[in-house]
Order: sequence, then structure tokens, then C-alpha cells
Amino acid sequence: MSTAVAPPPAATPEAPPAIEPAPFKPKRKRPSTGLIFACTFLFLLVFMAVFADYLGFIRYPDEKVLVDGKAGRYKLGPGWDAWFGTDGLSHDVFASCIYGARVTLQIGLFATAFGIVVGGFLGVLAGYFRKTTDRVVSIITDCLLAMPALLLAMILVSRLDDVRNDVTWLDWFSRKWQLVFTLGLLAVAPLARIVRAQTMSLREREFVLAARSLGAKPGRVILREILPNLIPAILTVAFTGLSIIIAAEGALAFLGLGVEIGTPTWGKLINDNRNQIDVAWWATFFPCLMLFLTVVSFNVIGDRLSRRFDIRQAGV
Amino acid sequence: MRYFLQRLLQFSIVFFIVTFAVMILMRLGLNAPGDPARTLLGGTADQALIDETTAKYRLDSNLFVQYFFWLKGMLTGDMGYSVPNSISVAAYIQTRAMTTILLGLYATFFAVLISVPLAVHQAYKRDSMFDKVGSGLSFVFVSVPAIVLAPILTIVLINETEISFGDYVLTIGGWFPRVGDKIYPWEDLWAHIENFFVPTLVLTLPLAAIYTRLLRGDMVQTLQADFVTLASAKGVSPRRVLWVHALRNSLFSFVTSIGTQLGAIVGGAIVVEQFFDLDGMGSMLVGAILSKDLFTVQSTAAILVACVVVVNLIVDLMYAVIDPRIRHMRALA
Repeated sequence: MSTAVAPPPAATPEAPPAIEPAPFKPKRKRPSTGLIFACTFLFLLVFMAVFADYLGFIRYPDEKVLVDGKAGRYKLGPGWDAWFGTDGLSHDVFASCIYGARVTLQIGLFATAFGIVVGGFLGVLAGYFRKTTDRVVSIITDCLLAMPALLLAMILVSRLDDVRNDVTWLDWFSRKWQLVFTLGLLAVAPLARIVRAQTMSLREREFVLAARSLGAKPGRVILREILPNLIPAILTVAFTGLSIIIAAEGALAFLGLGVEIGTPTWGKLINDNRNQIDVAWWATFFPCLMLFLTVVSFNVIGDRLSRRFDIRQAGV
Repeated sequence: MRYFLQRLLQFSIVFFIVTFAVMILMRLGLNAPGDPARTLLGGTADQALIDETTAKYRLDSNLFVQYFFWLKGMLTGDMGYSVPNSISVAAYIQTRAMTTILLGLYATFFAVLISVPLAVHQAYKRDSMFDKVGSGLSFVFVSVPAIVLAPILTIVLINETEISFGDYVLTIGGWFPRVGDKIYPWEDLWAHIENFFVPTLVLTLPLAAIYTRLLRGDMVQTLQADFVTLASAKGVSPRRVLWVHALRNSLFSFVTSIGTQLGAIVGGAIVVEQFFDLDGMGSMLVGAILSKDLFTVQSTAAILVACVVVVNLIVDLMYAVIDPRIRHMRALA
């Protein structure tokens, strides 16, 4: 028995060549230079921050850079030996910046996650149930927005240490988690607002009506119909929020409310070295630059997303 | 009018909740009896003084009583007493407020002065080189926080910085005096300008960038509207179309953001005053919060919140001025 597949019937020569429809190609816009830069920078930063211990060219943050066998205050300017120069304790500024990125990025990510969960929850409730729920939520967000953000953060962080000393089961609530909680709280109001607005328009759409008329309960409608459609908006605001949170963490650290002594963050590096700014500009400048580039990068991505998903965020 | 009253009611509720919350927050962790007074007076104060202070400010009664006691004081002009600085809070604020007010006013004024012409021209010459450069710059400055801009401007403008690339040495800066003691304009105008220039710049640039982006975006949309085409077709001069017809209809987000940015200005002022050692309300707040100076924090925060609330109310009123439709709609309602 032959298993050979029968050859395809030969095309009759006299048949006119079929006009093949042009293959569908979605029109792609080349990503802008800014976007490429932002993604590359963030990727490199995260990579170096995660694997800092194993990368040979990054010194340990508490390793002293010796010049002729001696350590000296602000001895080295930026150059080959220490890329970003050395600081007052003759630590490598580049290494401090990378290790600082660890703490800063962690705080930023956890705080944004906190903001998304709480703000998203409030926003969905307000937008879906409206009426009294909406009133209550809008008063909560108004209250959070009426207080200058940095002021609220300062008060909270400065008091939470005392709370931690008072309450025994809050032992894990170190400065890092206090910052996460505080900065997350600041992200709640903008997220709640945008989620509320989106939910309001989504709940009027046909597919929600369809689900409701099939007898779906509010919980199911929210989880299965509305929530997936909220993801673009939340993602967009999250990126912009992340940049604001990172900047706020810098400002708090600068005001003396950063994480514990010994852990570098960008804000603390700026604060530690700013009094020597006329001796060693590099020790202040490079942490500033890192903070700035990170914030810009997150903003670029947020901006791109907001244009992609057509989301206006005037209030954020 | 009814709408306005509704907003007024909502904002007063917000004001009371926030001030009450600040009071509770400042007392977190001070649970033992006499704790607030002991904190105010410092660790070494004797018991009699602690008892006296506790009684004087009713620090032992429940929080609501304390709140109304404080609120009554606020309304009658008594803002309490800054115990660590032995000065009444009102007098304390008086010595500091002017710096912050000046900074805020300068920043807002110059930001509007820069952003309006820039945004209008950008929208008019859309996608031109000017527009692209302007958009790029404003995008960068939107992202730059005060904590970054202040040191960088210090390096670039104030300090004489020597940057060396091998043998080549580039010297920049030294154009402005170091900011330290604040100088008021009525004392020495020129010194005041020199003194406040860099701090104001730190606050102005991000603000101007935010305004420019918002206004440009709205303006571009307005310029595509039919009534703009009609006005041009009628023979209204392009300048009038641009500055009167289009601008007026693009001011919404712009005016809103003047209200919402107030908190950001205060935050920026806190950082700037701390960085440049200007004695203003921002640096006063930092000190007060760190030294747990209850009444100073409570009263100053209340004033700031009141400012935010009032500005937002004014913004609501401005809508009606900008847009006659809203005026009439609300007259009907």
C-alpha cells in the first residue's frame, strides 16, 4: 500500500491567476526614541539592582575606594576608577546608586500595588453602585487630595515609628513598610478617581447589561465584566503614579524620613552629600540624575500607554 | 448658586475631616496619660508643669473635646502655643508665612506667564519644530521633582563647579549668590531678586511644564472645532481667533490644574525652603513635625487645607466666568 499523499491537482494553465488579497498587516508605528531609551534604562537599572552582588564592576556599597592605599573624603571625581566618583566616606557613588535603586524601586512597586488594590476597590464600588457609596468615596478622595501630599506623608511617617514601638504585633512594620503604606495611601485618590470614571462609563455598556440580564450578581459583573476592562486605565495611572511615588520617596528621604541608616536610597544620598556640593558636585549630581532618569522613564511609558489607550489623566 | 452651596458644604466637610485626622495622626503613639504634654515640653520637664499644660490645653479629655477646643481657638484667632519654641503659633506663622507666600505667588505667576504664550503658539504651529522642542522640554520638566532640580540648579547656577575631562577643565556657575538669609523686596529689591531667583526657578519650571502640556492639548482640540473655522471664515483676524475664541474655550483643565497644583506647590516649597535654608512655613512644618509640636502642625495644616479648599471653590466659580453655558445651566437648576 502506498502511503504517498496524492499530489495536489495541477492548476489549469488557462485559469487566470487568482488575485491574492494583500496579507493583513496592522500598521505599526515605530516606537519613539524616548520609549526605547526608557525601556532600556529601566531594564538595565533593574538588572543591575537585582544582580548587583554578582556583577564584578559594581562594588559593595560599604566597600571603601582606596587611592594610593588610603581612603579620603571625596577623593575621586567621576572617572575610570569610580564611575560616579566617591563620597564623604570614600564609598563608590555608582555602587550606592545601584544599591539605592533596590530599596527605591521596591518601595515604589509595593506602594503602587497598595494604591491599585485600595484605590481600585474604592473606585469600582463608587462607579458601580453610585449614590451613597459614590458620595462616601468622593469625600474620602477629596480628603486625601485636600492635604498637600508631602505634608501628609511627613506626618504619617514621623508618627508611625511611635505606633510601632507601642503595638507589639507591628514589629515587622519597619521604615520601609511604613513608606510603602504612606506612599501607597497617596496613590489611592488618583487611582480611585480614574477607576470610578471608567467604571461609570463601562457599566452602561451592552455587555454589562447582557450579563446583568442573564442574572449575574454584582460581584460577578464587577469581577468578570468590568475589572478586565479597567486594566489599561489602571496600568497607565500606575506608571505615572510610580514616577510620582519614587520622587516623593526621594523628597521624604531628603527631609530625614528615609529608610534606616546604612541602607542607601537616592534621596538619602542627595541629602548626605548636599552640604559638600561645592567640594564634590558628583556625589549629589549622580543620585539626582538616576532619580531623574527613572522618573522620566516611567513617565514616558505612562504617557505612551495613555495615548495608546486614550486615557486622559488631567488630575493625576 | 445651589451648585456652589453644595460644593461649599462638601468642602467644609472635607476641611473638618482632614483637620480632625491631622489631630489624631499627630497624637498617634502618645497614649499614656500626660504623654502629649510631656512630648511638647521635652523629656526633662517636671510633673507640675506637665499637669499644668495638660489642663491648659485639655490634653487629657477625649479627642472630640480637644478638637472643638482647638477649633474654637482657631475661629477666635487663637491658634495655640508652640511650646518647644515658646511663641504663640500665630506669631510663629507670621514670621514665616511671607517667604512661602512669595515663593508660591512667584512660581504661579511666572508659570502662567511662560506657559500660556508657549502653549498657544505650540498649538497654533502644531507639529512644527517649535512645537516638538517645546513638547519635549515640557515633558522633561513635568517629570523633574524639586528634590532633583534644586541640587542641579545649585551646581549649574550658584556654585562655581569645575568639571574635568582629563586635562580639559570646564568651569560653570557662580552667577548667583548662595541663598541663605531671606531678604524681603521692601528691604532691598535687587538682593531679593538675586536671593529668590533660583528657589523660584525650581518651583516654576515643573509648574510651567504642567500648565503648558495641559493647555496645549486642549488648545489643539479647540482649534479643530467648527466655531474656530467659522470665525476664521468670517474674516476674524487669526490673532483674535487664537487668543480670544480658542483660548477661552481651552482654559478648563488649565484652570482646574491651578487648583489641584496648590498642594504640589506646597510640597515643592517644603523641599525648596529646606534645601536653600529659607525660613518659610515649609521648613517650619518640617521642624514642627519632627519635634512633635502638636499645635503648630495642627494649625498650619489647617490653614493650608483651608487654602486648598478655598482655591478649589474659586476655581469652581471661575468655570462659570469662563463658560457662559455653565452659568446659564446652573441658573436654571
